[in-house]
Amino acid sequence: MFRYSLITLLLLLAAFVVQQFLPAFTGMHDSRILIVQLVFLCCAVTVGQRTMLLLAFIGGFFWDAQCALGPHGGDLEVYTQQVESLRFGYSILLFGAMGVLMQGIQPLFKQGKWQFSALLSGIAVLLYLTTEYAIINFVRGNFVLSQATVYQIVFTSLLTMLFSPLIFWMLFRIAGACDYSINPEAGRRPRHVH
Amino acid sequence: MKPLNLIALLLFLGGAVWALTRSDRTVREIQNAYYSAISPFLKSGSKMETHARAFLKETRHSKALEAELEVTRQQLGRLRIIASPLHAPEPENDQLRLIRRNPTTWWQTIEIDAGSKQGIRTQFAVLSNDGLVGMIDRIDNGGERSSVLLLSDEKCLVSARVDGSPEVGILSGQRGGFDGVPLLRLKFLSSNAAVRPGQRVFTTGRGGTFQANILLGTIDSVEKGALDSEALVRPSVNFADLGAVFVVLSPDS
Repeated sequence: MFRYSLITLLLLLAAFVVQQFLPAFTGMHDSRILIVQLVFLCCAVTVGQRTMLLLAFIGGFFWDAQCALGPHGGDLEVYTQQVESLRFGYSILLFGAMGVLMQGIQPLFKQGKWQFSALLSGIAVLLYLTTEYAIINFVRGNFVLSQATVYQIVFTSLLTMLFSPLIFWMLFRIAGACDYSINPEAGRRPRHVH
Repeated sequence: MKPLNLIALLLFLGGAVWALTRSDRTVREIQNAYYSAISPFLKSGSKMETHARAFLKETRHSKALEAELEVTRQQLGRLRIIASPLHAPEPENDQLRLIRRNPTTWWQTIEIDAGSKQGIRTQFAVLSNDGLVGMIDRIDNGGERSSVLLLSDEKCLVSARVDGSPEVGILSGQRGGFDGVPLLRLKFLSSNAAVRPGQRVFTTGRGGTFQANILLGTIDSVEKGALDSEALVRPSVNFADLGAVFVVLSPDS
């Protein structure tokens, strides 16, 4: 269990490096594969709550370190209405919320029905991006939602979800190598009550 | 809930609150540490990309033709900047290569292959042959890469004036995704602003970030309001086709 948890942590860190080389698809409204979020979501359904919270903290913390913008600067007499940025650390809470969502269907995953988790990973990314965009609107005022933004959110979620079977395959292999079962109830016969 | 899980949840929330209350300076230090840690990967990735690009270029063009074209392009760019009114700032360094486009989901940014080693600092203006591209937002610890906040981002504010009129305002990008060319929004014009589509928009030089008389774009349409007017501006730079940029090294020039 400990070895598996440690490897999921390393996998999440590796995802940050991989993310650096995944470009946005300009032909698809700047959609992208969010490999960090995907690895976190897939890991979240295979580990306990404490490990999930640790992964959520590390994932959110490094994601914000990667994406946070600096202050605009300049003369405040000219730039009187500066545009607010999102606070560093907000992603930690979003990652935590996504992790809780994934753990909600952990019983199904433990029965070997990983397909539901793969589908939920796409929904979780959709909710994550929608919430993130809603927070930006809340912080900056004037709710703006263009068609292109909707496409960007939907395509990003779909693209990310498409890769979830690959991540689950990797997790099954890692769990096997660590002698740890991430779906202990898979293959068991349902109990009949007489 | 098990006691250990409850403790873990409290620690998680405590950690989140700690992160949310960090100052801008601390956040910058955290970002520097983060990018320092992954810089070996970025460097090797960048090298591989450079080799791949060079190979592709080699197959398409002969070197001599490429050099000649580059010189002609630079001359044309200089002529365009000189053609803009008064003293447009002349780029003081060589062309810098764009190495990553839109690395984040919501912010309009690019990364270039130069940093503090080339004398670049945060909030320096970034130009292309066609006009203002944006400003330096972050410089990696290694001093070899910088992140540029594009003019098309909502957070990039520029004090702007409309050519041939006394109107001045604040220009910025618009939120969210966009199809095709992003239109910029010029706010705080007077309610009876006499501006019309086709007029050119330049920086005023006020605000301490951007030099005066850098071309920003042309007026696309005007929206009159009761208290003030706003104009949509078509940027002079094609952000989707950026290949190389210049950084103005002296902010006071």
